Amino acid sequence: MRRLLDSLKQSFRTFDKGMREDATSLIRKQLDEEENVFALLTMGVFSGIPSPPTGVVLRILPYMSREIAVMNKRSAGLDDVFSQTLGTFDID
Amino acid sequence: MTALIVLFAAAFYIFFYFTYGKALERNVVRADGTVPTPAVRLRDNIDYVPANKFVLFGHHFASIAGAGPIVGPAIAVVWGWFPGLLWVWFGNLFIGSIHDYLSLMASVRYNGKSIQYVSGELMGKSSKYIFEIYIYFTMILIVAAFMGTYGALASKSPEILTASVLFMVAALVEGQLLYKTKLPFWLSSAIGVALTIGAIVTGFIWPFIKCPNIQLLYMFQVIYIILAAALPVWFLLQPRDYLNSYILWGGIIISTIAAVFAFRGFSWPAYTSFAARVISGQPSPFWPTVPLVIACGALSGFHSIVGSGTTSKQLDNELSGLFVGYGSMFMEGMLSTIVITSIGAFGFTVFQGFADKIAAAGFDLAKMQTDPAYFGQVGATVINSPAIGIGGALGIFTKSFGQMLNVIKIPVKLGETLGGLWASAFVLTTLDTTNRLARYAFQELVEPIKKVSKGIHGVLADRWVASIFAACFGWFLIAKGGNAYTALWAGFAGANQLLASIAMLTAATWVKKVQKVGKGMLAAVLIPTFVLWVTVFAALVWFLFVVVPVTAAALQVILGGFISLMLVLDIWLMFNFFKSWNEGKQNKA
Amino acid sequence: MKTYFFLGKGGVGKTTASAAWSVGLAHSGMKTLVASIDPAHNLGDAFAIRLGDRITHVGDNLDAVEVNIEDMIRAYLDELSVKMKHTYSYMSAMNIDGYFDILKNSPGIEEYATMEAIKKFIALTEYDAVVFDTPPTGMTIRVLAMPRVSLLWTDQLIKMRKRILSTRGMVENVQGKFEADVDGERVVLSSSEKEDPIMQELVSYREELRALRDMFSSEQSYVNIVTMAEDLALFETKRIIESLGKFKIWVRAIYLNKFFAMANPPEEIQGKMEEQERVVGRMKAEIRGIEVKNIPLLRKSPRGIDELLDVYSKYLV
Repeated sequence: MRRLLDSLKQSFRTFDKGMREDATSLIRKQLDEEENVFALLTMGVFSGIPSPPTGVVLRILPYMSREIAVMNKRSAGLDDVFSQTLGTFDID
Repeated sequence: MTALIVLFAAAFYIFFYFTYGKALERNVVRADGTVPTPAVRLRDNIDYVPANKFVLFGHHFASIAGAGPIVGPAIAVVWGWFPGLLWVWFGNLFIGSIHDYLSLMASVRYNGKSIQYVSGELMGKSSKYIFEIYIYFTMILIVAAFMGTYGALASKSPEILTASVLFMVAALVEGQLLYKTKLPFWLSSAIGVALTIGAIVTGFIWPFIKCPNIQLLYMFQVIYIILAAALPVWFLLQPRDYLNSYILWGGIIISTIAAVFAFRGFSWPAYTSFAARVISGQPSPFWPTVPLVIACGALSGFHSIVGSGTTSKQLDNELSGLFVGYGSMFMEGMLSTIVITSIGAFGFTVFQGFADKIAAAGFDLAKMQTDPAYFGQVGATVINSPAIGIGGALGIFTKSFGQMLNVIKIPVKLGETLGGLWASAFVLTTLDTTNRLARYAFQELVEPIKKVSKGIHGVLADRWVASIFAACFGWFLIAKGGNAYTALWAGFAGANQLLASIAMLTAATWVKKVQKVGKGMLAAVLIPTFVLWVTVFAALVWFLFVVVPVTAAALQVILGGFISLMLVLDIWLMFNFFKSWNEGKQNKA
Repeated sequence: MKTYFFLGKGGVGKTTASAAWSVGLAHSGMKTLVASIDPAHNLGDAFAIRLGDRITHVGDNLDAVEVNIEDMIRAYLDELSVKMKHTYSYMSAMNIDGYFDILKNSPGIEEYATMEAIKKFIALTEYDAVVFDTPPTGMTIRVLAMPRVSLLWTDQLIKMRKRILSTRGMVENVQGKFEADVDGERVVLSSSEKEDPIMQELVSYREELRALRDMFSSEQSYVNIVTMAEDLALFETKRIIESLGKFKIWVRAIYLNKFFAMANPPEEIQGKMEEQERVVGRMKAEIRGIEVKNIPLLRKSPRGIDELLDVYSKYLV
């Protein structure tokens, strides 16, 4: 009996987590894009994109670990853009 | 009878899941539970995150289930309920589910790269481009096709129109509650579901939004598309997407219960004729044209993109792949089965309700029931005739659905509104989504113009221009093309099946060259691949020579152009396939 | 506090002017600091004292310093490198020192360091006046413009950051605090402006920039051009005034150095003297609102406090 309740609780928790992800998947994708752009803009000086004067960049560089990680992820995936975009949208 | 069909379908799918499916898993994919999937190996909590297989099933299924599994079968019933069912069962079993499962697993073995990428790896770079072009065409055509089906439905059903508009409002509210307030998640969700039910009930009781003018509806849809696609995702798209899953699951559960308890025989003809007039009023030979009508539910190229887009990056274990990829497709097959069942059992009840109008339009209702050949000739016209007012494919579905739900004591019109909202919620989401993607695709396409004229490029690449252009293109095809949504639907399905062809060819190449599977199981993949390719090719040639010429002038040029181009690319694709098949080149998985 | 900037090409005499001016100020009772931020330091020579990176007392009320910009750059980058190594542990596996070598030469780093040096000195409240011997004109203009330009960027970045934080907030409302794995460590990504380190940094930097910008444009700031009475120099001077004007920085005085003020000019420099006349005339006509002072060509360059004071009293006030 106990085990049944436990597994029910577990299922509900999984369901809950799943539904929450469902409710935010597109927003998370947008967030990744925003962080990516932010990183590109500030770090762009290292790849030829017009970017803020070095001073601003140097000040915030120490805190940009997440944004840099996202940017690296995106750049690595540039050869397969479709998987990053089409997969998220409901077309069928 | 309804119960019989539904239960048989369930048994069918379950049986083959555990026999055929498991065989595929063991001998073709050779799924190994001990090998870490990309979600585990490359975990970064951005894209690569292992997800619980039930949750992933839910996400994957919700992504692949749209209005497709409803619209397709609802058009196909003009062949009779049996041929459609055959394709939904066996087409799904032998081609569709294998396509979905193998695309997913091939992607998993390629670090979660998309099937497009894998096709480039295995069959040469040009395959990637062919893939892209098919996708663009699919996106343009689906907008036109969906606008057409929704227009046909909503112009004849103020209940459904009202419900869809109110649902939009519900989604807006839900968006605010979920993302802008600190309200507990489940409370906001409950409110959202309540509002959705409210939209349905209000549409039922007080259908205050009426718009019988279908051209006007097309215009509204265009404006809606452009606005919706310009809004931030959290505002409308995301909450609506979220509420859609409740509608989907609710709809499936209610309809399954109703179907099982209906105990109703099928009054709809089982088989009308081989070449019933299904597409654009033309005699459409069941083979090869059925894949142009029933796409999702039996076989759909887009699933390979969804599967290899996000799902493959979230698969927690290779052994979960069967459940998620293969299982979802079977689930969709069940959904389409229920759609056909409801029309099969209650379609004629619906017709009876329109007896006067049918007679006034010059058709013999009694003859339709007794003479299947006659039905095959006139069925589609009756369903689509604005004078009669059933509301097209979605109309016959929603009305049959309403009848079926009446079995479990739900008022007919209410059930109809529910079915209508189910279909339209997905249609509208697809329109919104596709416009966003088409915008991006459009901007890519006009890149080369920069070299010619910066000024013109600046205007074209502006995202409003891109969005309006994409939406208007779709609008043009349906509004100025004579409301020929069956032709546009077939065009879209054709492009979709071409995507499926590439995916299958890629999967077949993968199975042979990388998996090095033995003759027996290889046939299980190769034969469907060829059958698919030949069928789709033949269907599109038929479409080009039989359907296109009878469509409006505008459509002839555009559709004809698209289809011709796709056929040429398809041949090129086959060529690539043979080239890489015969090369001894080994590609690393 | 009052600040004085002496701009001019190399060799035109701005070091002498700034040194003399600082001596004059000190003499009148103001606690003065004269700082050379020109990489080609001459300040020490003007005072006939050895000057270095540390502030040196050179006379009554008067301190002097020659800032080593390159050292400053290296120090900033070292500090940054340490901070980065701490945050990006995986980067230490990569050759991060090499990475920072590139930064040393990145565009704008010299300007940034120079601006930081200026900031540092005007923050020293014990002085009533700070006089700057500036780098060659181009660099100085970029430095003076820097607060405004950086502000434009910083404002944009703040706007973008607000958007990111707002989006994170929306996800948070549904999924709770946003945690992410950043190279092996669980990090909480906040959605609140108060807690986001990047936002905090951007906002505080914006404050500093605003203060600098306002200071450069204020009444308390005196920007002077040291030049010579030659045609080309006139063009240049007008351009400088225009450029600075765009950044709302007003030039107060123009010093025409090495002015030919001889009783009996030799034949060879007749042409030069005519040019000089012409230039002075044009200046009076075309440049309004700015004082023009002549500093005659001196027999020998002034060295030491007394000689500098002499120059100040005779020609600068």
